[in-house]
Amino acid sequence: MDTRAAREAPCLVACPVHTDTRLMVERVLEGHYEEALDLLLEANPFTSVCGRICHHPCEESCRRHKVDAPVGLRQLKRFIVEATGEYRLRRRGPAKRTRKERVAIVGAGPAGLTAAHDLARVGFGVVVFESADEPGGMLGTTIPRYRLPYEVLREDIDDILALGIELRTRCAVGGDIPLTELQRDFRATLLATGLSESRSLGVPGIDSHGVLLALPVLRAVSLGEPPPLGDRVVVIGGGNVAVDVARCARRLGAADVTMTCLEARDEMPAWEWEIEEALEEGVNLATSWGPRAVLSDDGRVTGVELKRCVRVFDDEGNFSPAFDEDQGSSLSADTVVLAIGQAADLTCLRDSSIRIGSRGQLEYDPETMVTSERGVFACGEVSTGPGAAVEAVADGHRAARAIQHFLDTGGLLKQTPREELPTIGDLPDDTIEHIKQRARVEVDRPPGEERVQGFSEVERGFTEAEARAEAQRCLACTTGAFVDEERCAACLTCVRICPFGVAAVAKTASMPEEECQACGLCAAVCPAAAVALKRFGAERIEQDLSRLLAERQKAAPPALIVSYCCLFETTSRKFLEENPEDVQTTGVARVLVPCVGRLSVPDMLAPFEQGADCVSIIACAEGECLYPTAEDRLGARVEEAKRILEEIGLSGERIELWRTQESAEVSWTAFWEISRRKVAGINSAERGEET
Amino acid sequence: MIVAERKPLGEIVEFIEGFRRVLVIGCGGCATVCLAGGETETKIVGSALRIAARKAGRQQDVLEDCVMRQCEPEFVEAVPGRVRDENIDAVLSLACGVGVNFLAERSGDVPVFPGLNTKFLGATAEPGVWVEMCAGCGNCVLHLTGGICPVARCSKSILNGPCGGSNDGKCEISPDVDCGWELIIRRMERLGTLDRLVEIVDPRDWSSSPHGGPRRVVREDLRQLAAEAEEEKATTA
Repeated sequence: MDTRAAREAPCLVACPVHTDTRLMVERVLEGHYEEALDLLLEANPFTSVCGRICHHPCEESCRRHKVDAPVGLRQLKRFIVEATGEYRLRRRGPAKRTRKERVAIVGAGPAGLTAAHDLARVGFGVVVFESADEPGGMLGTTIPRYRLPYEVLREDIDDILALGIELRTRCAVGGDIPLTELQRDFRATLLATGLSESRSLGVPGIDSHGVLLALPVLRAVSLGEPPPLGDRVVVIGGGNVAVDVARCARRLGAADVTMTCLEARDEMPAWEWEIEEALEEGVNLATSWGPRAVLSDDGRVTGVELKRCVRVFDDEGNFSPAFDEDQGSSLSADTVVLAIGQAADLTCLRDSSIRIGSRGQLEYDPETMVTSERGVFACGEVSTGPGAAVEAVADGHRAARAIQHFLDTGGLLKQTPREELPTIGDLPDDTIEHIKQRARVEVDRPPGEERVQGFSEVERGFTEAEARAEAQRCLACTTGAFVDEERCAACLTCVRICPFGVAAVAKTASMPEEECQACGLCAAVCPAAAVALKRFGAERIEQDLSRLLAERQKAAPPALIVSYCCLFETTSRKFLEENPEDVQTTGVARVLVPCVGRLSVPDMLAPFEQGADCVSIIACAEGECLYPTAEDRLGARVEEAKRILEEIGLSGERIELWRTQESAEVSWTAFWEISRRKVAGINSAERGEET
Repeated sequence: MIVAERKPLGEIVEFIEGFRRVLVIGCGGCATVCLAGGETETKIVGSALRIAARKAGRQQDVLEDCVMRQCEPEFVEAVPGRVRDENIDAVLSLACGVGVNFLAERSGDVPVFPGLNTKFLGATAEPGVWVEMCAGCGNCVLHLTGGICPVARCSKSILNGPCGGSNDGKCEISPDVDCGWELIIRRMERLGTLDRLVEIVDPRDWSSSPHGGPRRVVREDLRQLAAEAEEEKATTA
């Protein structure tokens, strides 16, 4: 059955590349980190980068937001990357060249390399031209290393290049090689040159010595050749680049660093977490000020004169700052850095006939992505304007589709700039009330004064236990219960048992997808077996059992214990990796279930049909279950299963219900040892009765 | 609905232990709703019987099926074929007694055993509790008794109650059983119709109840139409 939801989880919908973050979390919980990496790389070849610096719109839209805090999806992504390093190297390799056409890509940033990746994977020859020494674009040259270590970026780039893409660095199109030559030699050309220039300001004194532009400063810092900044640095601008400059300045020894911007504190365009980290590192903010003049002495900057900004945007939301000239202030500075915006460097178009618009921007059709010249496309910030890394990746994917279509058909493919998918939307308030709160796993970071001592990465990744704990918080949106209406007898059992008040019965039962929490309690008790779960249904338990027990037939251990264990209690992969030999040597066949509360009585009896001596159910620690009432309901079902065994002359003691103590790794082995001894006793007693 | 309860598994094992291939058939109607014989109970009983056979070292196949309702010809018409084709030599029905009868009439020389005890016509009082509310006596007197049935809910089925065994609203047979007549009186008080109980209800004719022998309901009009349709089908064929 196709279990793909007609409406998607909001996290997937919010992601510009539609990463299936919900499924990613499920893979983490199951211990399938490698499959999770495959899934991530399929959606986004810059997965390592996004695990570090993505602005994570997935988290902003996470439905857990309204319960307590969103799931730490970006950190989980980083965890997956860090847990699968060797696997990633093994999966790396060339794509098969199946098409004779070649595509030239100008710019080795996230947009250009994503397009290169996609086109190489569908069999085209791809050559990427990069003017800098190294690939990566802005990610490599301007994002400070404390946010994104270069080797992390290289993980993604090396994967992409290994597809067989030719990279020509230090090759400036429009300088070393004219664009017309690319147009001649390649069937299609993609301009992905980004916004690599900083804008300047037209205020008196701007030419003073000591006034610098943000991107050249950041580039010099990343090359390890920072300009002398002095002790007092003023950064003009309130966006992410301004924050990067300010934080770098603190690391370079400037004691007094102030960011000043037109916007009020709550209007600042930089990501909030970036601003907070800057404040922790001792960066000062002077908000709602605009520069009136750069002050200088003998041509050398001494400070900035400011005027009060009373409004940044007009009523229509357009950028249109208004000032109160009577209110002024000033800041002293040894260096002033301008971080007020970026512009495209279009020297690559030199001597070509590609049109540039009246405001100096590349002319381009946002739907077909084509420029004024046939066969020359554009993507990424050079055409879309400034955006986040993942948005550049999304645009790279789109460009690859446009180019593939062009090379396949000679025509242009119309695509909307942003594909909107249907979503299940927010959690209804009534459902929120029933969901248990669980604190988000936050990683601690060193104090600000320690961080500014150098450029080492600020944030650490999750440990495995932290990643697994955070993954458990996922509400598993869209994977809940669904009803086979032909079987449903409208008996109301689901309505009576649903701890979230979700199930309803009209002519037949229904569990609205936007409300269902996928606990599985209804499916466990439905007398008509009409309720199933999209995620981890009864058939999955059956499959796991027969696979595990098939091995056992070959050489039977003295006593066989089938242990249904709560997946949520594992802090490592120790018990998740399936090893058929384990069943032989330990006599324990483990079936990991995302909440054993979903086990039905038939699930509990099935192992005995296949020769199990004991069913050992291990639930979470007392009171820890994510799902209200599940613990009591499970207890009642265990009692029912025991009664059934007794009715056919087997000891009910053959079914055991344990509560995890501390963690799976700490307590489960001991439970199985107790079960093993107990079952030996029961076996000999029952054999005694028979004789 | 018809309320039933699974028989003890030990008893069921005795029914079927001499048979090589047994088909357990659940019912998707009342037996499902009263949690006694639906798809899930069929799985449970099937599983238990296989475990019992394994324990006893008995070579026995136990198969499972569940039909929409065992009391409709269309829903059970596939069963005899399956019994024949799959060499089933005993059937265990998890329907009410109606289903067992219905299957038995259609299963040739293969025995059909009851997996449930059929209890009564009743309703769900609360999750897990079902109570009898109708005795199926064939001649309703509910209009005389405020909608509460004296036949089903009075232990003696008396029509002019209560008797002397009514004690604090409970029946003398058990403190767990409400006195049906107490319920009737309270209900009629609420309706303002208590005065109607002054009239003595005459001894009634019980021939409409099971005492009158097996009963049937016939809608001649529908029967006639169905017969005509059959005839037409036969001639056009």
